[in-house]
Amino acid sequence: MPGKVNCREASRLLSVACERDRASREPDALQYHLGRCLMCRNFESQLRFLRKAAKRLSSQD
Amino acid sequence: MSTPVTDPRFAEIESHRPYLLRYALSQLRDGQLAEEAVQEALLAALESIGSFGGKSSLRTWLTSILRFKVIDLQRRASTERLHFDAGDFAAESEGEAWLDDLFDETGHWRVPPQAWSDPEAALEQRRFWEIFERCLDRLPGAAGRVFFKREILGEETEAICKDERITASNCWVILHRARLGLRACLEKNWFGGVESAG
Repeated sequence: MPGKVNCREASRLLSVACERDRASREPDALQYHLGRCLMCRNFESQLRFLRKAAKRLSSQD
Repeated sequence: MSTPVTDPRFAEIESHRPYLLRYALSQLRDGQLAEEAVQEALLAALESIGSFGGKSSLRTWLTSILRFKVIDLQRRASTERLHFDAGDFAAESEGEAWLDDLFDETGHWRVPPQAWSDPEAALEQRRFWEIFERCLDRLPGAAGRVFFKREILGEETEAICKDERITASNCWVILHRARLGLRACLEKNWFGGVESAG
């Protein structure tokens, strides 16, 4: 059933969210999961950091 | 009088070689061609270092030279009909066996992602960037290449899929794999160094 996601699915949704419009909202099931799962919240912050670091890599001195 | 060989910027230029090679690989997908492009770009850079005004970063300047070399080689390769098919992608993105290494049967992380302490500070450290690049190198071929195009060069996913001749969902899987691999590598080799021994 689509209502619930586990970490494996949550991480996939978070990654896919990087490809979508920034304005688009995370699915409810993902938000629910994130609210209860510190590991996936860590993963989410790490994704943001990866993106930032990667951007910086192209203009390093 | 400064002869080209003694210009201190030569060593600096050389230090960007790994990054440039990664760029070339992301565009050409052929190790030998990529090496060739980088070699030509570095030679061209050495010859024209005098015209580098420091308005952009050295890396940005070098990349712009390399871009031309890459386009040139791509043209040559396509006229020789040296075309690579998407075979490696099919093999790499099909199946989710690699996910089973990261998640258990119930879908939980096998190694839970940690809270990274002060990631911003890492961005200022040379050693961090060495590790970051080494982690990029460890990604499987397609994952490294697609991630590089998407996140480092900032290309749109759609353009990447088209260029790589893969479907959007394939592209997403590959990027997901790259992100998971990269974060695990950084956690192990940089962020996890202090708190956890493993």
